[in-house]
Amino acid sequence: MRVEVRDLVLRYEDTFAVDGLSLSLAENKIYGLLGRNGSGKSSLLSVLAAFRRPTAGEVLIDGAPVFENAAVTRRISLIRDVGETVDVGTVEDVLFFAEWLRPHWDAAFAATLLEQFSLTRKMSVKTMSKGQRSALGVIVGLAGRAPLTMFDESHLGMDVPSRAAFHDVLLADYMAHPRTIIMASHLIDEVSPLFEEVVIIDHGQVVVHEEAETLLSRGIAVTGATAPVDAFTAGMTVLGSRELGPTKSCMVYGELDEARRREAAAAGLQLGPIAMQDLFVHLTGGSR
Amino acid sequence: MRFPTRLLAAHLAFGALLWAGYVVVIALFTVAVAIIGKVTGSIWELAAQLPRIYVLFFGVSLVREYLPMYVAHGQTRRRFAEHAAATIAVFAPCMAALMAVGYLIENGYHALAGWPQGLERPHLFESTGQAGLVFSEYLIEFLAWATAGALIGAGFYRWRGGGLLLTLPAGIALVLVAAGATGSELRMPFVAKLLAFRVDLPDSLPVTYAVGLGVFLAGLALTWPIIRDVPLRNR
Repeated sequence: MRVEVRDLVLRYEDTFAVDGLSLSLAENKIYGLLGRNGSGKSSLLSVLAAFRRPTAGEVLIDGAPVFENAAVTRRISLIRDVGETVDVGTVEDVLFFAEWLRPHWDAAFAATLLEQFSLTRKMSVKTMSKGQRSALGVIVGLAGRAPLTMFDESHLGMDVPSRAAFHDVLLADYMAHPRTIIMASHLIDEVSPLFEEVVIIDHGQVVVHEEAETLLSRGIAVTGATAPVDAFTAGMTVLGSRELGPTKSCMVYGELDEARRREAAAAGLQLGPIAMQDLFVHLTGGSR
Repeated sequence: MRFPTRLLAAHLAFGALLWAGYVVVIALFTVAVAIIGKVTGSIWELAAQLPRIYVLFFGVSLVREYLPMYVAHGQTRRRFAEHAAATIAVFAPCMAALMAVGYLIENGYHALAGWPQGLERPHLFESTGQAGLVFSEYLIEFLAWATAGALIGAGFYRWRGGGLLLTLPAGIALVLVAAGATGSELRMPFVAKLLAFRVDLPDSLPVTYAVGLGVFLAGLALTWPIIRDVPLRNR
């Protein structure tokens, strides 16, 4: 599903959670939605899913307004760690209602995922661990097969193997059933390999929206002897550096043209990629 | 509108299970009373207060648990309101029928044991064998209690404590008008006894039903403006 957001404002009393945000997302891609605490990620997603009415601005999904529009909302799924879809009785009850209310529900897929995440239908949701509840939310989100599926920190509490399983299943199912997926997460390095495009928001506004590869190409690690590294990176935006004996590695922000790359090679410097998380920290203003 | 079969089925199944357990508990309690003292009338009549509270919380949980679930599953608030209203409209008579059956079961073991089956307070019915009138009284009461629960649940979900303060008086009013319509006396000491507040309506079954329907519709009408654009809570 295509997502079009124009001049969106969402205000909680005196606080602007989203402040004049505009965004356009093409269909059938996996998007990473990144932002610091309080940046407006969850607020944006809650408006996209019609969990909230926007204060001002326009949200169109496939060209149609979303709030209280059943034709649109029935094709949208937002799974949050709050657990709206799982807070009823047992796992069986959760699946019972999901199957009834979700038009694209795949019961067989849900059963497979239950097994994969070691959940049973008789488990009481209230007595589950945080990780198990998150896994159940993830199952509801994946088996719902909504054309616009969003996960907002849905993996909170899941252990590393469970998160890895979630990412593998998500990718495999996306390949088999392409749809628009938006993932908001603070575990940037863990989820960034899934992203085709990245949207970074800060203070309720879009800071960056571009392809993940393009974004990653803006950050470069320059490694070599300390003096040549310092000379090469002089005047560049240095995001951070590490030294080990005579070797230094500097993370810089900005693109290098062919001439600069040849210059680096001539100085015996190695150029390599840096983690998306380091770029994210820089693009959202560094340490506050 | 697709009939809310699953919403209804989930609550009816749970309600029927609770009722079955409650019938057994009350029967055992009656036997205990007979052993240590004397059974002077219907225990089921006295026990009816708990089912009212259960129906009230059924209304609360409809909004507290199922509204967020509906919206999170891509349903509109309007669709939820339609389904919730239909669910209350079917759930209340089913529970009222179970209450009437409860009296009939009690009539049976009271007759077998030779215990009296008198009533302690005014009702729409004069004897516990008048199943139709028993059903009517509890139907109208349960419609009011469930709708009051939905109203109070909506107020609390939207505005927390402030919403509770705002909707509680309206919820109590719905219950009192329904009680007045059935000619029964509510066991609500702060309202009914201390404030000496009673609603007495003409003794006529059509009027009783009309008032019951009015209370139900008024409760829904008061609840809708609260939930029509309610944001889903973050916590």
